[in-house]
Amino acid sequence: MGSIEFEGRRVRVEAGDTVASALFRHGVRTFGRSIKYHRRRGLTCLTGDCANCLVRVDDEPGIRACVTPVRDGMRVEREGGVPSVERDLLAVLDRLHPLLPVGFYSKTFIRPRLAWTVAERLIRRTTGVGRLATDVRPRISQVRHLHVEVLVVGAGVAGLSAALAAAEDGWSVAVCDEGEPGWLVAPGPTLERIRSLARAVEETPSIATLWHHAAVGIYEGPLVPLAGPERLVRVHPERVVVATGALESLPAFRGNDLPGVWLGRGAARLAGRHGLAPGRRVVLVAETPEAAEHLDALRASGSELVAVLAVDGVPAPTAGPRVFRRGSLAAAEGRRGVRRVVIQTDGLSERIACDALVLSTIRLPRDALLRMAVDPADGSSRGTVTGAGEVVAPGCSLDQAAESGARAGRGEAVLASEPSTPAFGAAGFVCPCEDVSVVDLERAWEEGWRSSEILKRYTTASMGPCRGALCGWTLPAFVMARGADALAAARTTARPPVRPVRLEELAAGVHEVVEKRTALHELHVARGAHVDWSGRWKRPFTYGDWREEHRAVRERVSLMDVGTLGKFLIGGPDGRELLERVLPCRVASLEPGRCRYVAVLDEAGYVMDDGVLCALEDGRAYLTSTSGGAARMEAWLRGWADRLDLRAYVADRTSTLGAINVAGPLARELLSRLTDEAIDASSFPYGAHRRLRVAGVPCRAIRVGFVGELSFELHHSRSRSVELWTALDRAGADLGLVPHGLDALDVLRLEKGHAYLGQDSLPDDHPDKLGLGWTVAMDKPWFVGRIALQRMRELPLERRLVGLELDGDASSLRGMPLTLDGRVVGRVTSCARSPALGRSIGLGWLRAVDGAFPAVLRAGSVEARVVRTPFYDPEGVRVRA
Amino acid sequence: MGLKIPCPHCGPRPFLEFAFGGEVRGDRSPGPEEDFRRVYLRTNAPGPQRERWFHAFGCRRWLVVRRDTVTNRIDPDVGDGLD
Repeated sequence: MGSIEFEGRRVRVEAGDTVASALFRHGVRTFGRSIKYHRRRGLTCLTGDCANCLVRVDDEPGIRACVTPVRDGMRVEREGGVPSVERDLLAVLDRLHPLLPVGFYSKTFIRPRLAWTVAERLIRRTTGVGRLATDVRPRISQVRHLHVEVLVVGAGVAGLSAALAAAEDGWSVAVCDEGEPGWLVAPGPTLERIRSLARAVEETPSIATLWHHAAVGIYEGPLVPLAGPERLVRVHPERVVVATGALESLPAFRGNDLPGVWLGRGAARLAGRHGLAPGRRVVLVAETPEAAEHLDALRASGSELVAVLAVDGVPAPTAGPRVFRRGSLAAAEGRRGVRRVVIQTDGLSERIACDALVLSTIRLPRDALLRMAVDPADGSSRGTVTGAGEVVAPGCSLDQAAESGARAGRGEAVLASEPSTPAFGAAGFVCPCEDVSVVDLERAWEEGWRSSEILKRYTTASMGPCRGALCGWTLPAFVMARGADALAAARTTARPPVRPVRLEELAAGVHEVVEKRTALHELHVARGAHVDWSGRWKRPFTYGDWREEHRAVRERVSLMDVGTLGKFLIGGPDGRELLERVLPCRVASLEPGRCRYVAVLDEAGYVMDDGVLCALEDGRAYLTSTSGGAARMEAWLRGWADRLDLRAYVADRTSTLGAINVAGPLARELLSRLTDEAIDASSFPYGAHRRLRVAGVPCRAIRVGFVGELSFELHHSRSRSVELWTALDRAGADLGLVPHGLDALDVLRLEKGHAYLGQDSLPDDHPDKLGLGWTVAMDKPWFVGRIALQRMRELPLERRLVGLELDGDASSLRGMPLTLDGRVVGRVTSCARSPALGRSIGLGWLRAVDGAFPAVLRAGSVEARVVRTPFYDPEGVRVRA
Repeated sequence: MGLKIPCPHCGPRPFLEFAFGGEVRGDRSPGPEEDFRRVYLRTNAPGPQRERWFHAFGCRRWLVVRRDTVTNRIDPDVGDGLD
């Protein structure tokens, strides 16, 4: 096979190798350095549970060597040592434990205050498990949603049995695993069983298999996100079967973190799977019947078994190694790795020379996912999540696991058994990730931190990259051993992620931005318009020179794409009744063919949105809203139709209709070139609307005037927008037509004193504050917000939107506070140098001072005088032309 | 994250498809005092609550469910989900 590059050297790899097995074969025993004391870290679990083999792969830090298959040409480096992992000068820290007490961060470098700033830099450099990659190519993860009835997490005997049983009962099933079925299992009866079950699963069409997808957590719903190789899969199952198995416990004894200390299944896997002997001379601790399998695998790989420490009831070999029936594991000794194991029997210590210590210890459930599904409110499982196999009955047999899985798959109750309490020694590391030892825990206990959760926070035990995989059970066992009550000795809260997940995977989907475009978007772009975000829409701000666009509107004729406006058709027997009740204006008196400006109030009487209401010939109504308020308006109208129990429908035509505003003194001239119908001022006056065929395109033309000139808003089928715009554009060429964008519009409407809701208004502006009191018909008995508005009208007006005349060029004063004798009494919300008026104008809100609104203020260094609006054409002669 | 809301038109869908419409309160009040309370004072009590949701990324219709604000359990027994 190929090779990988390991710290500058080429390392040959064999088929089926992981990074860990390839490096181990190459002679690597130290895979990294611990976070605090820089102790050597070697392979331990080989199941991706612990964090002892984190290496840097192709510049990506924190990769678990033991579960990462090799790829030809892969670049692997170890991290953490100065100058190198093998010769780490910082290992001196291991002799300075007294200087680095538990709770170190809370105790040292407190005074003088400057001490920490210096110390922190130093500490940051010496600790940590890797350098962050800064020049990586960003990858964008995709999200996939998967809806199944049953999700099985874990493809072991129990998990695969669950998937098969569920599929047999007719459920749609997905089964996921961090790797492939049996990938972590040494050859033997378990692996054979898994392989035959996996074959059956692959042959079952109703089971979807998601190999190499690790479940990150279980959220309510349930929702189970799976971190896959290229994307995040969000699974929305009805039921979840968690079959994540169990992990051997790492007992606390002196030297329990030395390279050469193995969990039994890991050692067996290295031996059986990769044919590598974990050591030449091995001491085995046998606490489970499975130890016999591990022993066979070790022997087959060429390890010599020198001693077995077997508990009662566990069979041990009768010939060969020394067998200890009584006695306890006191220590593992050695500098670079295990060299001796100390076994204590009846007060006598015996040292046995060896180079590997294999711990076939009691197994503890890998149950973080399962515990996440527990309802915090009442402690019950969220019903839909069950465990199966070793995760609920650690140490169960293969048949029991299969039975348990099948029951869980069918949705039946599963037999569970309590795990044994892990043994607790007097020394050694509890949390190898964070270098927390038994001594540290004892000291913290003496200092008064006396529950699992508090010890965790103070000592940082179980807060490392393995998320408590090794210490999640031993930390509470420590508290329990000191006689604390069950609550204090409860296990610490399980939180996602239970498996490492990249930030890019967590961020999957956030790049999916909704971008709305009108039908005319390409035309604008082709014309060289500056197109940018306006809410969710991409809209033209200017086609080059906004002043020229402004002039076209005021002096000639112009077009604007207003297809973004909210557009609604309201009908049904109670359609008009709905509008009468939800809009503050009079609706009944609006004759077909007429339209009216409406301010829409919420229940609190505040202005929520505004638009134009048209009464149609057939009794229905057509309502427009602001571009940003369209989605809310639709929901709001439908909500009131439901709440008032009215037979009305609301059809949202926002995305199916386009709209073009033809504005300017020559607008009529332009339209008359494209229509045969009479559109003179008497047959089509301001405030009217009608069907109009323009350039052969059927339109609903509305005579409104946001920009303050003669204008016709042409609403039409979106599919004909391009045709209509192009015809208007061509027909207006000799009239000096120039389309205008949002920049020009901002000044045009400001000259008319029209407020932009949201920019010029505040969330608690009722109509009077905006000068829109005239739109409200208080003589109607009821409309949404009427009671609140009436109540507010009884109080003096404390704030209102006013027109401002400013000195000098005030085009950059938006947001400037308005002051009176140095007191802030308002704010400029819009301002511009008006080309039509030749002076600076603005809008702003102003607070009443001593019951009156001041007339002369300062906006920064400039004088601002309150004037009446509109600034331009106050009589509205032009708009009515 | 994965809370599902039973939409009477679309079936159970992830709550991210919905917009929250608040607790179900009255629609009209007899007087200003009641109106103030209706508009501004939420019950905000832990436990079951009738509330409106708008299926924004679905049928774009409103529905009413009874949701326990502590456990997020949604009671399927509220009529057909329509108010």
